[in-house]
Amino acid sequence: MLEPVRIQQKDFFQNEEIDALKAGSKRIGGIATFIGCARDFSEGRDVSEIGFEAYGSMALAEMKKLRGEAIEKFGLLDARIVHRVTTVKAGDNIVFIAAAAEHRAAAFDGCRWMIDELKQRVPIWKKEITPQGDSWVTPHP
Amino acid sequence: MIKVLFFGPVADRVKMRETEVEFSPGMTLHDVIAHLGMQHPGAFSIVSFFAVNQNQVHDKQMALQDNDEIALMAKFSGG
Repeated sequence: MLEPVRIQQKDFFQNEEIDALKAGSKRIGGIATFIGCARDFSEGRDVSEIGFEAYGSMALAEMKKLRGEAIEKFGLLDARIVHRVTTVKAGDNIVFIAAAAEHRAAAFDGCRWMIDELKQRVPIWKKEITPQGDSWVTPHP
Repeated sequence: MIKVLFFGPVADRVKMRETEVEFSPGMTLHDVIAHLGMQHPGAFSIVSFFAVNQNQVHDKQMALQDNDEIALMAKFSGG
């Protein structure tokens, strides 16, 4: 069984994550998901690859805390957070978030809150690799 | 010893991923930052967050213990 919160190099598969959520409860009425993926263009430049670096132990602990807070705050039945830390090419998956609830409003709100909080709180950095050179990304709101 | 970790853009600036600073009783997080800042002038201008033993801290006057692990971190950009 895949852990609900993970940092990994390899790709993730949405169906596996959703199956894991559904296996946990028959009371789920809605699952909202967010997949972050790599764009091929940023700040006026072509982007060929994106490299990720994390303070792994702290990042995982913060992601677990974030999941617990989301479940409590939005009354979710379950939630999952998976972040890849590797070098990805344009179009590749980066992050997966899912929020499962009895009703859609909590699922949507919880999903949005988790990705917003992850960007603020989890020590992961991305570097865009472009034909003009590499540069660390300045966070977007 | 105090172990100090650097990641991403901060690691690029200081050209290393970790270093050690000798512990002395009464030492604060500020003392370590000031000590390293003298060795790497300007390198930490992008540091926005500090962690001690994997917990984010906001008070630089926090007293450290021997063998603590510190991280000096730029703004996060995951997701």
